[in-house]
Amino acid sequence: MKKLFLSLALLLTASAARAAVGCDLNDPDRDVARLFPGSTGYKTRYVSIKGSGGQPLLERVELRLGDKFKGLYETMDVPYTLYDIYRDKEIIGYIHGVNQKGEYGGIQVFLALDTEGVIRSFYIQKLTSRAAKDLRSKRFGAQFERLALKDFESYSPGKPVAAPLKIEAPAKAGKDFQAVLRAVKKNLILLDEFVFSKKEK
Amino acid sequence: MQARYSLLFSLLLLPPAAYAGDGLLFLEAQGVAGYSSMEKAVVHHSMTAAEPMQKSSVGFDLLRKFSGASGDTGTLAVQARLAWDPDAPNRLEPQLYNAYFRAKTPAAYVWAGHSRPAAGLESYFDTHGALLQALPMYGYGFDRDWGFGASRDFDWGDAALSLTSGTGMRARGAGNYLVSARAARGVLNRDNYSAGIYGSLGKIPEIEGYKVTDGAEMPYTAAGLDGALLWDRWELRGDLRAGEKAGMHYLAGLGRLGVNLLEENRLKLEAQAVYSGMEGMEGWALACGVSLAVTPALSWRTLFEYEDAMSDKRLVTQLYYYLPI
Repeated sequence: MKKLFLSLALLLTASAARAAVGCDLNDPDRDVARLFPGSTGYKTRYVSIKGSGGQPLLERVELRLGDKFKGLYETMDVPYTLYDIYRDKEIIGYIHGVNQKGEYGGIQVFLALDTEGVIRSFYIQKLTSRAAKDLRSKRFGAQFERLALKDFESYSPGKPVAAPLKIEAPAKAGKDFQAVLRAVKKNLILLDEFVFSKKEK
Repeated sequence: MQARYSLLFSLLLLPPAAYAGDGLLFLEAQGVAGYSSMEKAVVHHSMTAAEPMQKSSVGFDLLRKFSGASGDTGTLAVQARLAWDPDAPNRLEPQLYNAYFRAKTPAAYVWAGHSRPAAGLESYFDTHGALLQALPMYGYGFDRDWGFGASRDFDWGDAALSLTSGTGMRARGAGNYLVSARAARGVLNRDNYSAGIYGSLGKIPEIEGYKVTDGAEMPYTAAGLDGALLWDRWELRGDLRAGEKAGMHYLAGLGRLGVNLLEENRLKLEAQAVYSGMEGMEGWALACGVSLAVTPALSWRTLFEYEDAMSDKRLVTQLYYYLPI
């Protein structure tokens, strides 16, 4: 039995897979109702770059983002949690969250989109920085409503010289403001790849 | 026993495609070794040989969503390991952590199976892979327990209730039970703080890990306060409970301070003090730990703990893999 145990341990340690952290809503029942008033239910599914296209998809996402994926939160096999939002039996939108490296650890940025890919709600779930209050304020979040991926095309996180569409940074946000913008663009690109591009096909 | 191993590993080696879309499956492996001044020997456990966490092990962690035509209906979670410890009564021990189905209802989430009772820091703080442990591994409360529970989040925080067996890792029905309730202001992952008040009441046997050390069901009570705070790089956690166990009164407390360093908080340094105040056997356990995310899949952790009651100084190190498939 000891041999069996050691063999399995070796089998696991030899695996090429790289672990990752997903991004779930804390309380999906309450959060979905708040982000999507009028919804009657949601369905959770898990997607990953590895399972949806692999290396070519990763390269395409990086190209569209204008920045490389890096670190603990951005590997090809990160499982992304995607919520299909229902009104009765009809899908009326999607909620999707991403992890993003912030100044003091990870930031979880969720977007609620309608079926055309337009942002209905913006929600920062996890953020421990001292700017958390400002970045979570209704005033800051409201600036993202009614925007879509095309509005972020001129914005490159690799060269964060200016915010897109004159989105105003809270006074104390510091580096976390750029981190949030990068997370929003990344989120929109991933949703486009996982959902909207597939619908067009 | 062979049949149990076969079942465990047939689950472990299921084809990944079986869980694409509606579920997640992770493989987990860890190697644990250290030195104990009390045992004057190399040890293969981070706490004691009788307690389940942590030991060298291989296992899996499965999460599967169930849904109908108009949305999710529930979640199945199964988390199991085969642990190895040459010092333990069972050198190879199949361990079951999560094993529950959680259903959505209009009023609350309701679970049945093996999950977290509604009491203390351990009701929301996952130490499944960690060397530094909360009060249950010091003999106060249960990290997991068999039974039923319900929980609901509110704007102000959350509330939970559970009715469990009061036997932790081992299922047992011999007149034992444990009722627990907890209410907290703040949700840690959303508000960066959680401050809870909780209580437990029941009749339970004396049990260490899977081993019943005294089968006589005795009254058990606990009343306590727990809290957690995240601020910038800092994490603060505390838990204080008092009650009656095995015919004796006790007071137990835990305080932990942690700081996250390096890019993406790859390095965590922590210090912890645990007071174990069972009548006539009072003592402290003082510990410090380091945890480094070497890669997204691999963490290296080391713990040094001093327990004054046994005058034990223990240095333990762990390599921990957690791999999505």
